[in-house]
Amino acid sequence: MEDIAQVVSFLLRVAEPLMALLIVVLCFVSLKGGRREEHALIVLDNDQEKISYPVRYWENSIGRSKSSDIVINDPSVSRDHAVLLRRNDGWFITDTGSKAGVLVNGRETAGRCSVAVGDIITLGNTRLVLRRSIAPAMKSRAKKEDKRVPAPVMLGLITVYMAMLLLQAVINMDGNTFAVIPAAGFIVVMFVFYAISYNAFKRRDFELESLALLLSGTGVMLAATHNTDTRQAYVQLAAVVLGMIIYSFMIWFIEIPDRVMKWHLIISIGAIVLLGSTLVLGTVQHGAKNWIVLGPISVQPSEFAKIAYIFVGASTLDVLQTKKSLTEFIIVSAISVGLLVLMSDFGTAVIFFVTFLIIAFMRSGDIKTVILAITAAGLGVIIMLSVKPYIADRFAAWGHVWEYADSTGYQQVNSLIYSASGGLFGLGLSKGCLQYLFASENDLVFCMMCEEIGLIIAVLTAVVIGGWMLYARGVTTRSRSTFYSIAACSAAGLLVFQSALNIFGVTDILPLTGVTLPFVSYGGSSMAASWGLLAFIKAADERTYVHRHIKNKKTKVVSEEAEFVEV
Amino acid sequence: MKKTRTRALPVLLMTLAFFVGIGYFVFNLSIHAAEWASMPMNDHLSDNSGLEHAGTITDRNGVVLAYSENGKRKYHDDYTMRCACMPVVGDDSVNNSTAIQTAYRSDLSGYSFIFGLGQPDMLKTGKNIKLTIDGNVQKAAYQALGQFKGAAVLYNYKTGECLCLASTPTYDPMNKPQDIETNDAYEGAYINRALSAAYPPGSTFKLVTSAAALRYIDNVENREYDCTGSDMIGGKPVICYEINGHVDLKEALKTSCNSYFAHLAVDIGKQKMTEQAKKMGFNRTWKLDSIETGESTYDVSKATTHELAWSGVGQYKVMETPIHMAMISAAIANGGTPMMPMLVKNVSGDFGVPAPDRQSAAAEQMMRKDIADKLSEMMDYCVDNNYGNWSFSQEVNVCAKTGTAEVSDSGEDAHGWVTGFVTDEDCPFAFAVIVEHGNSGYRAAVPVAAAMLNEAVKAVRHS
Repeated sequence: MEDIAQVVSFLLRVAEPLMALLIVVLCFVSLKGGRREEHALIVLDNDQEKISYPVRYWENSIGRSKSSDIVINDPSVSRDHAVLLRRNDGWFITDTGSKAGVLVNGRETAGRCSVAVGDIITLGNTRLVLRRSIAPAMKSRAKKEDKRVPAPVMLGLITVYMAMLLLQAVINMDGNTFAVIPAAGFIVVMFVFYAISYNAFKRRDFELESLALLLSGTGVMLAATHNTDTRQAYVQLAAVVLGMIIYSFMIWFIEIPDRVMKWHLIISIGAIVLLGSTLVLGTVQHGAKNWIVLGPISVQPSEFAKIAYIFVGASTLDVLQTKKSLTEFIIVSAISVGLLVLMSDFGTAVIFFVTFLIIAFMRSGDIKTVILAITAAGLGVIIMLSVKPYIADRFAAWGHVWEYADSTGYQQVNSLIYSASGGLFGLGLSKGCLQYLFASENDLVFCMMCEEIGLIIAVLTAVVIGGWMLYARGVTTRSRSTFYSIAACSAAGLLVFQSALNIFGVTDILPLTGVTLPFVSYGGSSMAASWGLLAFIKAADERTYVHRHIKNKKTKVVSEEAEFVEV
Repeated sequence: MKKTRTRALPVLLMTLAFFVGIGYFVFNLSIHAAEWASMPMNDHLSDNSGLEHAGTITDRNGVVLAYSENGKRKYHDDYTMRCACMPVVGDDSVNNSTAIQTAYRSDLSGYSFIFGLGQPDMLKTGKNIKLTIDGNVQKAAYQALGQFKGAAVLYNYKTGECLCLASTPTYDPMNKPQDIETNDAYEGAYINRALSAAYPPGSTFKLVTSAAALRYIDNVENREYDCTGSDMIGGKPVICYEINGHVDLKEALKTSCNSYFAHLAVDIGKQKMTEQAKKMGFNRTWKLDSIETGESTYDVSKATTHELAWSGVGQYKVMETPIHMAMISAAIANGGTPMMPMLVKNVSGDFGVPAPDRQSAAAEQMMRKDIADKLSEMMDYCVDNNYGNWSFSQEVNVCAKTGTAEVSDSGEDAHGWVTGFVTDEDCPFAFAVIVEHGNSGYRAAVPVAAAMLNEAVKAVRHS
């Protein structure tokens, strides 16, 4: 009997990675398949020269510069002349500090000026007429639709995956059914989330969410079988729910760019207050003062500060593509990183810094700012190490953990040993040894996955997180605004970098800094914040807001909205 | 928005670097997985776990030394054989890091990169390991060591195969003594002294000093000296055990004249002595398959002239492991370059599929061939004119050097050493024996070497 149970558990372990692989492949294929092709939304015709400029994006820079979205070879046109924007209520043009100015139907413009089909836009000596494009819309769309996988199918597969993990857990724990409630709870939460997204938010695409659910579900099952604390599974499940709420709220909140701008300053201050209060009120746990304890709940505010930080960094509107001063953002960044260093939360400090670099570069394109920032940070590190040389000791084991196997390399060495023990399919949930190590459920979770559910699922997790970044970059030109593109790329970049610190820290490729693995590590704040960050990626895809537009639409000029109508 | 896309390039590169990093981890894991999984820290494989369904360990003749049955680890039927082989085979625990059941535990337990340690028990098939060890030789050495602590190494200097790596004290792996941690009689029972323990080599180190002299001092063979039983070197006396009279190099090695070699060491000088010692394998460790040996040390960097003189006769701070000493004899026997010793003849493939025998390779050259041949001749002279070949064997010709190493100032009996080799073509054996506090290399170590050697010769000629 016991032998049969063992064999069943083994077969499940072999089947799970295949299931996870199938889900991941389907989701990414579906994401790619559902993407709009980049043909013109409208066109700008230069009738004198007989040139027709296709307008492909929601925000289009117009100028003489080769890097403009619409390049006009006319000496009277400035390098960065204007930005042509699409908003829910039509098209607009904004002068971005050109010499000759922008005229619409012969009238000078100031600030954002609405334009409609047939309007004549004058830039220097160039006259452009805004016209509808002749879109090859419907045909190609129908073909693409085939590649898309309906959300219920993906959720069904995830349910099967979860059921397999659960069955395995019950077998491995000798019939202990503790994991049943968290697993079942997760499946219920998943379908409720989908139902609400579908009905209340009219959302039809569910690939990103499915991937996040795959990772979160794995995290919940790891927590449910983690030996030290049975409470963990419920905390993790509650965090998933909180994450979904934050996710939905975020998507709603950032839909209207004007609202984003209005709240910009308050959120900047909020991020700093959040970090500052942690420094004042926080509790030191494991060498870093990054926890606020409120009765039975402890919160890591720096996790939520990440969301606010990306929000602040990315939110500058219309004139975004012109060189705009980064001063305000640099100040917020310097204060945030400074506060994190004071908390001794070096891992998060580095994450903020890298996110700063990503945003600063994406906004300004200014390599000088990036080099300057890196130099300043380098100096900061040197000064810090000369004042507090013991900090370096924390990273002394890096690169030769085996020599420090009994001291600072202990976690890494054990992680490697137990990763190797797991093979491709793992030893089974709850069967691992790594779970008994300090911080196994968060810092070491990647190797705990390797040990218990195998290398394949662990690597797939990393692939999903990296895949989000590839997706975020893929939709940069299909966003409704550069705000969304930049926010998506920096949120995805943050997730990738944080995962890199987590995974490579514990496998001794980078120094061990003790940050969490998004969506998988145990920890309510981390889980909830991961969902919040995912919202930025979701928002970058224009399709996210399609259905709401249709409802609100009072068509002025929208050439081929049909493209987005999904029946 | 094209610009934004371009500016996302660094993030894209970071993501690609992330994927490369993941790939690097997987690659690294695929290379080191077996090694990492078999670390003693791995709780899946330690404390009696991991051997329940492990493969079989046999000696070179196929005699089963350890096997698993019904979820339990079992060992050879004969108590003496179990004790004799324990230092090599190991017990259920992972206390002895050089034992096969520790170092190869992941292989034995059926570890594979694909399944890790995760196959269900009924599908688990551990790999089988065949050793180069000869159980009977191991047993003969163990019995000859008797109540003494010590070690005996014998290996084939042509193939590198170790026939014997005996070490005492030892114990029965089926019935581990309760007082093993507290009883002095079991002191160091968890290490295989043949591989891991380093002792002052005493006069056996004169082989190294001789090799250095032959290399660096012209016409040293004819250097003559009148031994008066002691000599002042560096302001203090270097003492011989007896008055050796008028000696040359060969005669000095035979009578083991301390003053002669002490003078040589001083004349050769710190730098060249160190260089020769290093060339002959001091200040480093060796790897027998994946098992790492202890380190032999020769460090005279802070030595006075007097201390340098003593280092030339294997005292001062000189330390040597038995396996290394056997390698030096093997180098002398083999024209200057030893074969690397090995003790695993083969490890079967997955699911117990037989695998081809492993071959050892030559280690680095320790000395020129002419020096090796000269030393060989001197060791032969030693045996014929001092110890007598009969002390070792009636059948084969042995070349050897004994040593008696003073142990600190505690007044305990000195350690007895002997190292050497057989010149007969069909029995190319190099050996080294240490008997702790045996008081005399000749009286304590030579009989152990003889017992071990004769069993090995018997296996070749009478089986």
